[in-house]
Amino acid sequence: MAESSKDKIKYGLLKFIDVSGFKVFDPPVRLIFGEDPQKQIRDIAKFMVLPMVFVLLCIFTWNFLAPTHKTKSGAVPTPAKVWDAYKDNRRFDERENEKEEAFALTGEEREAEIAAVKAELVELEKKSTELQKLSDEATKVGQAKIDNAIAPIKTQYDELNAKFREERKERKAELNSLAEKIAEKQATTDELITAVKADRTATDQEKTLLKDLKTKMDDIRSDPPEEIKAAQLAANKVADEVQHYKKRLDYLTSGNRELKVVKLEEKIAADQSELVAAADPKAILKEAKSVVSNEEKIVKTAEQDYPRTATIFWQTRRSIATVFVGFFIAAIVAIPLGIMCGLNRIIMACLTPIISIFRPVSPVVWLLIFQIIVGAFFPDPETHWLFKTLNNDTILWGLLPNPIAFLQTNPAMIFSACTVAMCALWPALVNTALGVSAIDKDHMNVARVLKLGFWSRLFKIVIPSSLPLVFAGLRISLGVGWMVLIAAEALSSSDGLGKFVWDEYQNGSSQSFANIILACFIVGIIGFFLDRIMIILQRLVSFDDGSATA
Amino acid sequence: MSSLELLEDPKIRRSVEISNLVKEYPNPYGEDFRVVEDFNLNIQEGEFISLIGHSGCGKSTVLTMLAGLNEISDGGIIVGNKEIDGPGPDRSVVFQAPCLMPWMNAFQNVMLGVKNVYPHATKAERKQIVEHSLSVVGLGDAMKKYPKEMSGGMQQRVGIARAIALQPKVLLLDEPFGRLDSLTRMELQDVIIDILAREKMTAMIVTHDVDEAVFMADRCVMMSNGPKAGVGEILEIDFPRPRNREEIFNDPKFFQYREHLLAFLEQRAPIKSGTRTFANGDYMGFVNKEGKELELAAQEQATLVAGSAVA
Repeated sequence: MAESSKDKIKYGLLKFIDVSGFKVFDPPVRLIFGEDPQKQIRDIAKFMVLPMVFVLLCIFTWNFLAPTHKTKSGAVPTPAKVWDAYKDNRRFDERENEKEEAFALTGEEREAEIAAVKAELVELEKKSTELQKLSDEATKVGQAKIDNAIAPIKTQYDELNAKFREERKERKAELNSLAEKIAEKQATTDELITAVKADRTATDQEKTLLKDLKTKMDDIRSDPPEEIKAAQLAANKVADEVQHYKKRLDYLTSGNRELKVVKLEEKIAADQSELVAAADPKAILKEAKSVVSNEEKIVKTAEQDYPRTATIFWQTRRSIATVFVGFFIAAIVAIPLGIMCGLNRIIMACLTPIISIFRPVSPVVWLLIFQIIVGAFFPDPETHWLFKTLNNDTILWGLLPNPIAFLQTNPAMIFSACTVAMCALWPALVNTALGVSAIDKDHMNVARVLKLGFWSRLFKIVIPSSLPLVFAGLRISLGVGWMVLIAAEALSSSDGLGKFVWDEYQNGSSQSFANIILACFIVGIIGFFLDRIMIILQRLVSFDDGSATA
Repeated sequence: MSSLELLEDPKIRRSVEISNLVKEYPNPYGEDFRVVEDFNLNIQEGEFISLIGHSGCGKSTVLTMLAGLNEISDGGIIVGNKEIDGPGPDRSVVFQAPCLMPWMNAFQNVMLGVKNVYPHATKAERKQIVEHSLSVVGLGDAMKKYPKEMSGGMQQRVGIARAIALQPKVLLLDEPFGRLDSLTRMELQDVIIDILAREKMTAMIVTHDVDEAVFMADRCVMMSNGPKAGVGEILEIDFPRPRNREEIFNDPKFFQYREHLLAFLEQRAPIKSGTRTFANGDYMGFVNKEGKELELAAQEQATLVAGSAVA
């Protein structure tokens, strides 16, 4: 019995691997269950180890080649730098979370947090000054080193410069005398021309020599010794941390939501007492106005959320949400239309010109069109019911927290989603139509003999038999949609990974390039997982295990 | 079983009259090409007819016209006392390929038609009908199996169950065993004979197999060669029912019938052995003397290919 249950687990696992399309993991599973170990090890070597070695090779090549290419934004980042960029982004995200938490904390919890942050801050500041001192010392030592390294070159440069100046002067004098001789017919013009040429080459050579020396010095200056870099980096890191703690403290004290409200309440109370005391009609009106405006401010402040800075992780989530919104719009439109096209040749003929003309249109054009169209629907998005509902903190009349509030839905998201939908529509539509029209004729004959009605024919025969192709189309759609979305976001500055990439490109800090490459990997990995999800769905709906469509 | 008995109403007439049946196809030159012409046949209630002839002579055309899947160009077919107009569950078909819906299991495949044919039956009654027909074909234990989990023979059993679950007046078998190996073929022949002995259906089978034609039918209809094919000759098979395979195959009469059929076919072979000619205007190729061996071989190949594709 034990043997058979083991087999059950084994074949269950293998089936799962097969359905999810990770065929690569087939040999290790078989190896674990002791099936023909030699063959499995061979397979692992061929299909797992070798590909891994190849990928590592690629990474090494990248690591090796990247620093050799200097660009406007510094050298191309190495894998290590991209990984650092990832860690920095993570830290940034965590800090945003901490600040958000600090902003909303109330009462005793806030007091406790203030004490903790203050204690931490004292420690950090101590550490920071120490490190700063170390860094300064290191810089001093390093500077001395640099100066030492530069000094001989500098003297060489100065000497050469002086010498060349002399030589130039001499040559000039010679040329002048030669010219005079020609005037007195004691020399030929050819001689002079040769002399001028020689002078020019000599001058050029001198210039190059001097320039080389200068570059050498510049290189030494611009590349400080590792210990300076390390010391500065350490100091900066802690200084950064100190900054963050100060900000947190800010949000716990003067910037805190509750305290802001309290302050406003105090103000109102003061205003009201002044209102009672005031005698001058002008002053009375002024105080009354102040009370009202402060009351309004209280309401606004109490509802306020922490103004989060968009991190790459938030942008990622937003992009995923947008692509799914667009994808669902596409699916909802494409599948019924595709079924109608497949069933009825007249409908197909009606839609063919539209499909043929609009399918090749670039996503960029759609983006601009939808930007205008969608924009017209929401003249004042802040107050529009749709966004108010979508971004409300709660759903179902306050029963549950709204799970999509964090997305901060706005018209930009809608038109990005529409662009995605417009571009993702076609593969799904065409494949569905194909799937429906390519139904086995025998199956239709069976339906005719059984006298199935339109609906049961549709739901029992047409749709199930076309599902594999429909899902193949949807898979292409989702892939297209994801690609289009990133471009659309970059172009329209609609929040998402595309915007992240574009912003990084524009702001050009030392880490921008690494961040862009990081975003490239995130886009790729998410695209990969979206495709996997679709493959699994496709296999699950395929009666033939997807072998016909995979 | 009460619901099933109810359905076997003795007043229902199950006879078939085919008169002056014509099938025309327009050819590319605008002329009409007559495949079948003046096909006349009366089938009595409960009679089993086998239709035999050379490939391409129009046997299947006649059967699909009777099923309503193929338009009738001229003439008419009366089933019971009504002229047919399009397909319907009173004439259910067992196709050469099992034609099961791969996304449904055996039970669901049979249920597909039952729901439509018995709109007033309760859920339990319908279930009973499906289970009954599946157990009749010997699949009582495999109702939850999907087509891909079944062998070709089992799939064809489901096809038969689906056809008989509709309680048709006429059961039409379109080379139903053409893709099966000979052992499975014999099993299924017995299944059909058993069913027809119990349920009162009229039946027609299109076949290439002379033994099958003789063994199963009450009358063998030999079709003349196309174009303009019609009924060439009708042979009464005088064996008692229920039929026992061994007895019949040892009966000298069986060989007489067999010889008769073969003589008819050989005499009308469109192509004499090993020569290459144009036959019937729509068929071209190498065929040996009997005109069937090569085709069977091709079918076996097709089965093999289909089998490996499933695997």
